[in-house]
Amino acid sequence: MTYALISLLIPLLTALVLLLTGSRRGVWVILASALSLVAAAFALLSVMGSGTQYLALGGWEAPLGIRFHLQPVAALLLVFTALIHLLVAVYAERSSHSQTRDTDYWPLSSLLHASLAALWLSNDLFNWYVTLELLGLVAVALVTLSGRKAYGAALRYLLLSLVGSLCYLLGVALLYGRYGVLDVTLLAELTVADATTQMALLLMTLGLMVKGALWPMHLWLPPAHAGAPTSVSALLSALVVKGPIFILWVLWAKVAPPELAVSAGWLMAVAGVIALISAGWSAIRTPYIKVLVAYSTVAQLGYALLALGLLLYWQEPELEVALWLFIIAHGLAKVSMFLAAGEMQATIGTKRVAGLKGATETMPVAMFAFAVAGGSLIGLPPSGGFVAKWILLLPLFAEPAHWPWALGVLVGTLVSAAYVFRVVALAFDRADPVRPDFVPDRFAQWLALLPALLVWGMALISQPLIQWLTGVSG
Amino acid sequence: MTPVMFWLGIGIVLFVLGLHGVLLARQAIRRIIAINIMGSGVFLVMVALAARGEARDPVLHALVVTGLVVAVSATAFALRLATAAQAGDKKASEPKA
Amino acid sequence: MARFVAGAAGMGHGVDQSAAHSMADGGERMNLGWTSILPVLIVLSSLIPGLLIFTLREERIRTRTALNLFGVVLKLALVGLMLFGVSQGMVFHFELPFLPFAPLILQGDALSLQFVSLSSVLWLATTVYAIGYLEGAKLRSRFFGYFSLCVSATVGLALAGNLVTFLLFYELLTLATFPLVVHRGTPEALRAGRIYLAFTMGGGVLALMGVAVLHTIAGSPEFVEGGYLSGFIQDFSPALMLAFVLLITGLGVKAALVPLHGWLPQAMVAPAPVSALLHAVAVVKAGAFGIVRVVYDVFGVGTMQAMNLHLPLLWLAALTIVYGSVKALQQQDIKKRLAYSTVSQVSYITLGVALMGPLAAVGALVHLVHQGLMKVTLFFAAGNFAESLHVHRIDEMNGIGKRMPLTMAAFTVGALGMMGAPPIAGFISKLYLGQGALQVNQAWVIGVLMLSGMLNAAYFLPILYRGWFMSPPTEWPKDTKLGGGAPGWRETHWMLLLPVLFTAALSILVGVLAGTDLSPLNWAQLIVNREFDL
Repeated sequence: MTYALISLLIPLLTALVLLLTGSRRGVWVILASALSLVAAAFALLSVMGSGTQYLALGGWEAPLGIRFHLQPVAALLLVFTALIHLLVAVYAERSSHSQTRDTDYWPLSSLLHASLAALWLSNDLFNWYVTLELLGLVAVALVTLSGRKAYGAALRYLLLSLVGSLCYLLGVALLYGRYGVLDVTLLAELTVADATTQMALLLMTLGLMVKGALWPMHLWLPPAHAGAPTSVSALLSALVVKGPIFILWVLWAKVAPPELAVSAGWLMAVAGVIALISAGWSAIRTPYIKVLVAYSTVAQLGYALLALGLLLYWQEPELEVALWLFIIAHGLAKVSMFLAAGEMQATIGTKRVAGLKGATETMPVAMFAFAVAGGSLIGLPPSGGFVAKWILLLPLFAEPAHWPWALGVLVGTLVSAAYVFRVVALAFDRADPVRPDFVPDRFAQWLALLPALLVWGMALISQPLIQWLTGVSG
Repeated sequence: MTPVMFWLGIGIVLFVLGLHGVLLARQAIRRIIAINIMGSGVFLVMVALAARGEARDPVLHALVVTGLVVAVSATAFALRLATAAQAGDKKASEPKA
Repeated sequence: MARFVAGAAGMGHGVDQSAAHSMADGGERMNLGWTSILPVLIVLSSLIPGLLIFTLREERIRTRTALNLFGVVLKLALVGLMLFGVSQGMVFHFELPFLPFAPLILQGDALSLQFVSLSSVLWLATTVYAIGYLEGAKLRSRFFGYFSLCVSATVGLALAGNLVTFLLFYELLTLATFPLVVHRGTPEALRAGRIYLAFTMGGGVLALMGVAVLHTIAGSPEFVEGGYLSGFIQDFSPALMLAFVLLITGLGVKAALVPLHGWLPQAMVAPAPVSALLHAVAVVKAGAFGIVRVVYDVFGVGTMQAMNLHLPLLWLAALTIVYGSVKALQQQDIKKRLAYSTVSQVSYITLGVALMGPLAAVGALVHLVHQGLMKVTLFFAAGNFAESLHVHRIDEMNGIGKRMPLTMAAFTVGALGMMGAPPIAGFISKLYLGQGALQVNQAWVIGVLMLSGMLNAAYFLPILYRGWFMSPPTEWPKDTKLGGGAPGWRETHWMLLLPVLFTAALSILVGVLAGTDLSPLNWAQLIVNREFDL
């Protein structure tokens, strides 16, 4: 537990120090992320050794006090968060096209890191409200870093995020009014399927869906994620939208009474399939590179929603494995994709997909990174995306009554392939390559490739990872 | 109807009104005000719930205070962003992301 | 609902408990002797040179050529070693944990070696050809890099020991060939590439679904002669049916079964070595090989017959054979005619497999090799005509035999072989397929074979007639890049000529020497004896 707390406190302190001293040097954040990663890794090890741990903050025990809760999944997500922050921080510092060097990006991203860590560790409904709100505000502030042109999108993001938080908060108030506790573990033992609980869960779910850009509440995401500076887009798509999904999972899988969860699960699964198809279609149609990548986030969150929905619908805790694998595989792939897209966009000097014509010649490594990351999004073996899809597919085929759901996965795969290869095919066009305006930054391109390779490298540890996740689920 | 139920009802009504305003208003400033009305509704519900038992519930009061702080800072941020966005709209007309 | 860890659920039915156990802890069991390393080395012998080639700058021709040839020779030597080992009864087996109850397995059995040997020998020919063909072209490092990756994927697919491993290499093959199909980067090439991807990605995801369905029933054990599903027919009949349809559809895309063949004629815009690769060495063959694996080593002859799955497959194959030949007859472009001819000829393999008799199976397996040799000869020759004399259409071939006698002779060997003229390789395949059809009382198949043979003659003989007997144009183009060569040398660049003569000679040799111990026929016989337990 101490390690987890250290992993949270390091970025928090870094953010405060940077804010107070006025320093905007990225080195500190890189260092902090690395240290936080090490601490998170130790936390993961200790959870693997001794299981779930609790820490009462300030010595106040539940129900009055707030307690942190280090469960195995949270430890994994801590490591994942720190890793992504480290990668993106190195990019933001070293890339010659980074728009965020020596800006407020550094304290803000550290703050983002800390709020995410707090979110994973929290175990009570109100704490989540605070972390969600913090996450939303910091994310919006990060979006505004790209200047005036992003203000409109940022404002829309902020307003919707606030509406989402208030919906969530009202739900929390209703639940507290009904049961008198906020701590999730205590609450889980009390809940019954009555009208108040149903209403509260509905409100909280709506709020979380807005914040997590889950279909059909996703409309704010593409402009915000596409308009942000590249390193910010990567963080937002890879990490920030995952927070609400985590809370949704705890809420429905642990707190909600099963009879409510079953019907909600069906709805979520359907929404997931629709997200895969409709957002995928938008990604196929959009003329802008980063908007394409952003829509792909909405589409891929559909997989997570599908896994979560089926988990609830069939009450199969093992499907958690698919959910977390999707979250991690998507996070790594998306970082790679946004960094590659951002590099190409900045180097070639166009925001349009059509501008990537001939990019395999002009920027081979970045294009390769895009394609490799895309391969994981499509779910080609043996990438992490494939492993997640495989785990999701197996229960779908276990009974003939479940087979129709596989159609959703099938269509999702084809749609992802369509938007990834839309870009890749264009990059092989030799008719009239668009020449880069600037000298391509080799280091940044290789850095963009790194997470893509990591997500394919998940194949090497997939068996123990699946076994471990299966062991800790349910 | 008990006073608790009365205030609860008022809170919910405020929340719904605010939500309606956010979804339908087009000007940023109106939407920000609408969000604040939503927030007031939620806080009212919480305060009303705090009074539901024999003793006042301190946890809910603490939550409202925290919530107010968050709401005030979020509103300030939103207002700043809205004015900046408007200024930006006037200068260069490229609201597309 | 304890159905989730479906592999485990399926295992519970108790066919293969010990295998399930050994797979679950495959990591600890990993044996690192040379017999387990060899299959990996065979894959790496093209993969590593390929990756190195990507990093080479364009002008480093010598290093690139050296790397290529080193990989080829090394692979041939390793395959030779494995051939020797397998014929001595050794077991080559490599295992890596990947998914629960579905490890990655590379292994060398008789069937995989049939395909690996073909790919490796043809890779040698194709590499030499490609080096000559692309002399002075742009982006050669990229080309040869993907070329090597493509061969690695093919070899991996041949050595794959279970369905999950097969699927992995099947998808990697798609990825590695796509850049080759669009290599020219022209609008037509990109269009062909998109069509290719649409078909193969669709096929890939269907195959994935099929593999997943089977995994929920029985896990993903190793391929085994006679299949591993016979114990599940009673309880899982609809699921098995679904899995079969999904798998055959997914594999049928690459095997160019009608109506899934649409990408193949389109892909003709790719450079000639790539066409050779698609049609003879890698892609189409991967599909056909996959069908062989699924029918024999997953479902098994018994299960196929019990569920009557082989009949629809047989009809589909027969239809494809006739349809491909008719379409080939309508084409005026040489490469297009050859492409439709592939559609038809590759389905001989599926046909022989679906007949479910030992003799037909021998015909199918030997045709896997024979068709490769003959088709690669035809494509090399067509490439030579196009590069040396700008001849792309059949009506431009008048008298070309006088200008390029050696290439034309090779082309003739390939074409006659396709028609089934003795003693060229194709004759052997057709002989066994015909006898096999009689053996299982499907005499109508003989009719299909004869019809196809006549159609083959109808679309190849006019070409031969034009090439040898009609009078050439007054002047052949002189501005071609590869028309010259040394003074007095009238054919074409030697690097283009040697491979085509080599494969033509092989096509005759494997036919003439079919009775000997080392022939593909003998090897096919060996595989069939095991599959049918003779």
